[in-house]
Amino acid sequence: MGDMDLLKRTHLPVFLISVFAIATPVIAERDQAAGKTSLDAVVPFFESHCVACHGTRRPKAGLNLETELATLHKRTAPGLENREFWEKVVLMLRERQMPPEAEEQPSETDRQKIISWITEELDRFDCSGPMDPGRSVMRRLNRTEYNNTVRDLLGVDMTPADNFPPDEISEGFDTIGDVLTVPPILAERYLESAKVLVDRALELDAKRETKQILVCQPSAGSDARDCARRILEPFVTRAYRRPPRAAELDRLLGFVKSELGSGQGFESAIALGLQAVLSSPNFLFRVEAAPGPESAGKVAEPLNDYELATRLSYLLWSSIPDDRLLELAGRKELQTDAVLEAEVRRMLQSPRADEFVENFFGQWLQTRKLDGISRDASLFPHFDEKLRNAMKNETLLFAKAILREDRSILELLDADFTYVNEKLARHYNMTGVEGPEFRRVATEASRGGGGILTHASILTLTSNPTRTSPVKRGNWVLEQLLGTPPPPPPPDVPELEETEQAALTGSLRQRLEQHRNNPNCSICHDRIDPLGFALENFDATGAWRDFDGKFLIDPSGSLPDGTTLGGAEDLKRALVDRRDEFARCLTEKLLTYGLGREVEYYDRCAVDGIVESLSTKDYNFSRLVLGVVQSTPFRMKRGSGYEERRP
Amino acid sequence: MALPFLESMAPSILSSAVAGETAATGITASGAPLRSAFIFVPNGVNQAHWVPKDVGPAFALPNILEPLANVQDDLLVLSGLANARARHNSDGGGGHARGTTTFLTGVQCVKTYGKDIRAGISVDQLMAASQTGQETRLDSLVLTCESGSDAGNCDTGYSCAYNSNVSWRTPTTPAGKELDPRRVFDRLFAGHDPAERAESRALRLRRKKSVLDFVLDDSLRLRRSVAENDRRKIDEYFNNVRDIERRLERSARHPAQSVAEPAGLPAREGEDLDWEDRLRLMLDLLVLAFQTDSTRVASLMLAPAASERIYHRIGMKDGHHWLSHHQHTAHKLELYRQINRYHVSLIARFLERLKSTPEGDGTLLDNCMILYGCGIGDGNGHTHFDLPVLLAGRGGGTIDSGRHVRFARESSLCNLFVSMLNRMGVSADRFGDSTGAMSELTL
Repeated sequence: MGDMDLLKRTHLPVFLISVFAIATPVIAERDQAAGKTSLDAVVPFFESHCVACHGTRRPKAGLNLETELATLHKRTAPGLENREFWEKVVLMLRERQMPPEAEEQPSETDRQKIISWITEELDRFDCSGPMDPGRSVMRRLNRTEYNNTVRDLLGVDMTPADNFPPDEISEGFDTIGDVLTVPPILAERYLESAKVLVDRALELDAKRETKQILVCQPSAGSDARDCARRILEPFVTRAYRRPPRAAELDRLLGFVKSELGSGQGFESAIALGLQAVLSSPNFLFRVEAAPGPESAGKVAEPLNDYELATRLSYLLWSSIPDDRLLELAGRKELQTDAVLEAEVRRMLQSPRADEFVENFFGQWLQTRKLDGISRDASLFPHFDEKLRNAMKNETLLFAKAILREDRSILELLDADFTYVNEKLARHYNMTGVEGPEFRRVATEASRGGGGILTHASILTLTSNPTRTSPVKRGNWVLEQLLGTPPPPPPPDVPELEETEQAALTGSLRQRLEQHRNNPNCSICHDRIDPLGFALENFDATGAWRDFDGKFLIDPSGSLPDGTTLGGAEDLKRALVDRRDEFARCLTEKLLTYGLGREVEYYDRCAVDGIVESLSTKDYNFSRLVLGVVQSTPFRMKRGSGYEERRP
Repeated sequence: MALPFLESMAPSILSSAVAGETAATGITASGAPLRSAFIFVPNGVNQAHWVPKDVGPAFALPNILEPLANVQDDLLVLSGLANARARHNSDGGGGHARGTTTFLTGVQCVKTYGKDIRAGISVDQLMAASQTGQETRLDSLVLTCESGSDAGNCDTGYSCAYNSNVSWRTPTTPAGKELDPRRVFDRLFAGHDPAERAESRALRLRRKKSVLDFVLDDSLRLRRSVAENDRRKIDEYFNNVRDIERRLERSARHPAQSVAEPAGLPAREGEDLDWEDRLRLMLDLLVLAFQTDSTRVASLMLAPAASERIYHRIGMKDGHHWLSHHQHTAHKLELYRQINRYHVSLIARFLERLKSTPEGDGTLLDNCMILYGCGIGDGNGHTHFDLPVLLAGRGGGTIDSGRHVRFARESSLCNLFVSMLNRMGVSADRFGDSTGAMSELTL
């Protein structure tokens, strides 16, 4: 399988609509009201390939297409009511589990057409009713968030989470609540690190003129409990990201008191109290209260102010809210649109937003992956850690400029500036840049201009150790920029021959083209490969080249919709032309990151709204963030007892 | 206090498994404890050089297994076993993820990116949860030599959790694995401070216990105020904190022993280590842990599923997984074989160390059952039959080793786990897709 096997495969995207998608819809004249015509066009496929085994007579695996089709014939509105059923069907078709190998196979074209039809039908979702905000997912702090949180909370110079086990990744991000489990070793480290952190924080506090933690000392006659309260109440408010409830604070004070009672000094008893707070699930998890009874039957109710402040600060700073956010939450002012917008803008300009660049962009663009990447030293002797770090830096500095200067997100695709230091400039064949520090420079037309696609970072992480991989690059564009990852390859596809002998028989391009002669491959590789070929002038480390071995590079190609590409610049133009798909993809990535859950079909309406507002606001970066922050899934939670709506 | 239902406290399979007669908790005839280790290697093997030609005793070691010559009499090569639950079984692609999570659980995992992760309790964790796990300082060691993937989804619709874990503590929670040998050493042996005064030790433990009690109480209260699907997470934390509390009590019963640090152990946590050095240290620590009876159960992943590690030390230029898709080309098959043999040579050194450690009248290896293998047979097609499986050690005299046993194709690997569980004192008559115990372990 080789290249194909290494494809990043995702499960079917919620919205598979793309100019890059396989074919125009099967259904020529779509009857929006009844959906009858479209149905008639697809029924023969199911009848000839499916119902023999999945009909009323013997519905294998309990799946009866006949009754489902009958239901569809009677439907009064478009869409597929039995969502679960059709999701299963489309999965089986997409992954080519069905029809079984031994049976007659549909053509790839028919298969993909049916997949598009089901996906589109599943996508028909009525946005007119009240919007479902989706599941809200309790999340524990990930490693980055833990380190930032304890830094901001305690003022310590330690990063204890570096020794925590790695966070599980899902949907491409380390913020996904469902997989952020607490394995036993992590629980152990939470407890150990609480002790180490408190010891260090008190040590630092002791050196301070104005104490930040031990803000009072019980004197003879004064009440130790009162003093403990003055220390712990503000601390807990910041640690739990909300004021402690009265009973909660009482319990904590009781805990400290019983330590005092067992003969401990005041400071030592407080230390244990602080340790308990840092070990509490109220600190380690970002808790959102279950919806109250007053919301019963409602689709959604707003988050409370503290919950919103917390979502906001972890989205943009990967850390706890600052005092200002907590104050606004305390005064219940954060929920007003104007205040919320002003806060988002303030937060984006704060140095803490560097965390957003590092964590969101680093994972969306996958530059985090660069750390583990190596190149064949005999082929790329200049590729070393310094160069790798410089590559990563370029992309992050560039992203930071988009954010700070509130540029258009389309500049991510095509820009006239970038950042280099001497090491990277040499790699790019640029002159006049000296020294290890990075500076902003104008991009050069000789390298195909600016934008992330011609950053060495992206070009490197989408290559193999010994050579470029147009398939990986094409796939990266489809998945990370357009949100339409291709389906996994069919099984038993003969692999591209990798032997040295094969390399003598033709260029990589010729060999891949032969590969595509197989119609089972071409249906997808016609979408994937031309995107990658357009970048063939960049080698496996992102350096410019005119030849690959003895073969002159030919970066041309054409996309299934007829767009012709003559190289990197054309590719960028083609992507900028598809700005709404790009904006949709980026919106979904940011929502996923910020909500800590997979984007679901019911989020469609929120995504549509954000994409539309971007298009009317020049695609400014702040508009994207504001769109997400002000969206229903970000600001609301489901009402109690609310059941998921089926389209 | 009232306890919520806690999955790990009452795993259904465990309750059914322990219903029958229980042997004397995994003690061998000689009175020495019996130990089990499960070593996972990703990406299958080059079958032509793995399976011995002859069956029975005195078989000729095929090329990949040649490094095991010094321990040949102490091991069984078990060929023809299958991991049928790792097949797609209507779940589509994802052979690496399934092959890994299913390897020690025998349960087909739910295809998901994370929302509803579910596999089964793995055989090692079932042992750890049984009486045998209570007899030692740690109930088990769960080790890995390569951290899992850092970005992106894993394997056609499966969460990375399935790729990076063979040990599952509950069906929904992988056991936390340890990557840092310094950390493992400290878990096993730190805290041995003969100079510490009894009262300061008592104070330290009491303070620790107060915090644990506070956290347990806090968790139960929080549990009541969160939505149903979040309770699972609170329960998980609650369970783990309770385990720490129990371990605290247990470490009082089983104080850490004083041992010499293995050569090359970094002085601090978090230091960079070459993969081979890390593996050697992990295996040395396993020897120490077994030798001191600090634990009786362990799992170790050489690397996660579909690892693309490039083994520079043996001259590799391409990733392991990539080479494992050999397409029957001679060039790739040869490199694949070299990697397989390299892995086995490192394991051979470990087995030799167990064998050179005396215990009672025999050796430490005599009182072990060390499984080495993969949930994929041939990496090229992600097959889940003809798995590479070795079982080293004589199980305290209950295994007639030194043979190659060929099973009827598609025999369940889980039959071996039933037999291992029984020997460890867990009386199970089924596990995963087992059809019974594995009578072939004895002549």
